[in-house]
Amino acid sequence: MKKLGLKVGVMLMVLALLLPSMASAQDGDEVVTLEFWGGWTAADGDIMDELVQQWNAENPNIQVTLTRQQWSPLFDAFVVASASNEAPDILAMHPQELAQFIVRDLLTPLDDLIAGSEILTPDNYLESAWQPNVYDGQLYAIPLDLHMHGLYYNLDLFEEAGIEAPPTTGEELIEIGKQLTVDANGNHPDDEGFDPENVVQYAINMHSNHHAFFQWWALYRQLGGQLISEDGTQCAMDIDKAAQAWQFLQDLVYVHHIAPQGQTDYLRDFLSGRTAMLIDGPWQMPSLEAAEEETGFRWASAQYPQVFDEAYAVWGSGHNLTLPANVADPEKRDEAIQFIEWLAANSTQWAEAGQLPTYREVMESDVLTEMYGREAFLAMMPYEVFLPNIPAYNEIFASNAPTPMMVMAQSIMLEQADPATAVQTACDEITFILQMQGQ
Amino acid sequence: MRVIPRPRRASDAGTSHLYSRWTPYLFLLPYLLVFLLFRLGPSIFGLAMSFTNWSIVGSPEWVGTANYELMQIDPRLEAALKNTAFFTGLTVPLLVVLSLALAIFLNQPHKGRAIGRVAAFTPYVLMSTVVGVLWTWLLEKDFGLLNVYLEKLGIDGLPWLVSQDVAMYGIILTTVWWTIGYGMVLFLAGLQDIPTELYEAARIDGANSLRLLRHITLPLLAPTTFVVLMLTIINSFQVFDQVYVMTSGGPGTSTLTLVQYIYTTAFQNLRMGYGAAVATLLFAILIVFALVQAYLYRRGVTGATT
Repeated sequence: MKKLGLKVGVMLMVLALLLPSMASAQDGDEVVTLEFWGGWTAADGDIMDELVQQWNAENPNIQVTLTRQQWSPLFDAFVVASASNEAPDILAMHPQELAQFIVRDLLTPLDDLIAGSEILTPDNYLESAWQPNVYDGQLYAIPLDLHMHGLYYNLDLFEEAGIEAPPTTGEELIEIGKQLTVDANGNHPDDEGFDPENVVQYAINMHSNHHAFFQWWALYRQLGGQLISEDGTQCAMDIDKAAQAWQFLQDLVYVHHIAPQGQTDYLRDFLSGRTAMLIDGPWQMPSLEAAEEETGFRWASAQYPQVFDEAYAVWGSGHNLTLPANVADPEKRDEAIQFIEWLAANSTQWAEAGQLPTYREVMESDVLTEMYGREAFLAMMPYEVFLPNIPAYNEIFASNAPTPMMVMAQSIMLEQADPATAVQTACDEITFILQMQGQ
Repeated sequence: MRVIPRPRRASDAGTSHLYSRWTPYLFLLPYLLVFLLFRLGPSIFGLAMSFTNWSIVGSPEWVGTANYELMQIDPRLEAALKNTAFFTGLTVPLLVVLSLALAIFLNQPHKGRAIGRVAAFTPYVLMSTVVGVLWTWLLEKDFGLLNVYLEKLGIDGLPWLVSQDVAMYGIILTTVWWTIGYGMVLFLAGLQDIPTELYEAARIDGANSLRLLRHITLPLLAPTTFVVLMLTIINSFQVFDQVYVMTSGGPGTSTLTLVQYIYTTAFQNLRMGYGAAVATLLFAILIVFALVQAYLYRRGVTGATT
């Protein structure tokens, strides 16, 4: 019985594999197949799957196969595939990851390929989305979406504390934060007898991972700071400003006691009311929407606060689409461009996954602006600052290894290290890495 | 290793000509091919790679001993070496002693024996990623099961995975829980090889349990202990999966291990040459242990009389 089931299963699989090719063979036209790789493994991946299926249904002669796995192993596989000219026809990534592949000639410059396109032009995109994909004067990727930190807040807890609006500045964050932080005896941080060891409700989350570094990046850029020198050979951090930005974040935990130390599950703590606010990306909106439906959780979103006055800036990144260089058949690039054009114009659905499409027509459409919670994030799009797009990106910024960035963030936020010392150490390490790369 | 006796020549004249002195090698050939293709070949290739600069794509550039010189001034490598040695130094004794104790306990004729053996061995069957995710939850600072119970006992919980001072202990705890069943099974097998007459004779002579353990069990288990010790050392030096899943080497560099450093350097940062050089270092360390093992084994220090 079991064996029979297996046999039938295998036959069905073989049939499933044969059918599309048989169908197309009847058309007489040649069918172009495009390999498309992306690192979307959550709900966003399912939506991308749906989009690809929709394209495949509308375009029988250009069939796209979407392969999804986590970003880090995806890039490992991409490099290995490139070595044997088996790279995918289309590869998604983030703008700051481009340079490491560009310097190894693994990506195709797109300027000539999109020269005739009505859709893929800089005018159709925000500059903040288009520009990060340009390296050494050439365009290497088409932006798909942007994401950045925003501020979510719990409407019930805000009403309980009598707070009407979320904080927009650093001072407001601390002031409102103290009202929203409560210990087991009902005391707030400035009250006599407040017990910081026994807080039952914190005002805001505090990352203990790479997002702590991302927050620092936003604040440091709000102070006008630079990270890497123009020529890319050394660390260009302004130690005072860098330390000042870290100090603000560190004080939220260790001085003002309005954010927890060593937190690891930010969303859960926000949904359970342990923190009244949550700094996180737009990708959390599907989860918040689900909680709203299931438990009546009431939330709203606001822009990331402007803590320093130099310029408004918020950490961000985004997904883009590249055309790898080492592919089996470079002739398929025109079809790849057609697919990317279609994806841009049909990316409304992508917003349901919490992504913010960058194609102006979609971005500015009523559908998007009227989706609950998106407005604050859409408003931040022009202000987002990317991490430097440099060949040594992984060695300096990767979040799954003890990179200078991770070590700096964790020593300051978890071990309460002196910010200036930690920044100096990171700066020395960054210069060391950059000079080693230059050799 | 036991020497396999030469098979008797078939008395049947019809088949005897099929057998020659090359026949055994014919049977070894499949493994030999696999060994050459997937073990020895890559090892030699890796050694050669360690003298180059290479990013998988493009062609390797010969750099002589530059990678080995860099190793001497690389603070990350130093941290990885220290952490790996610390992990090994603590995990190995814990695993050997605890799995032995567990095996002795589960070798006694009592009711919980069968279920105890299953319970102790089951974690070993789990995939490293599953173990990593599971223990990330158990060791969570604020709501993790372990800290919750510690606090119920009136003991302050520890910031297991989010403090540089404690994170490695969290990894060690996880590893001991995960792999204790492996040593236990080996010890159980060893214990069952000890003839029961020895215990009976000693009992008649009036020996108590402690003396039985000291003078019969431990000496006769020595070969097994030796095997468990060596396997545990070698496995500990190659620790990677659970660390990668649970802490990615952090906080700071507190749980960065050699194999993670090799992986990150070679495959994420695309510096295959330097990664290969560090891998060669790990290989050299493990070779030292293997040689010590071979030496002791030949000297019979292990009590290997079988």
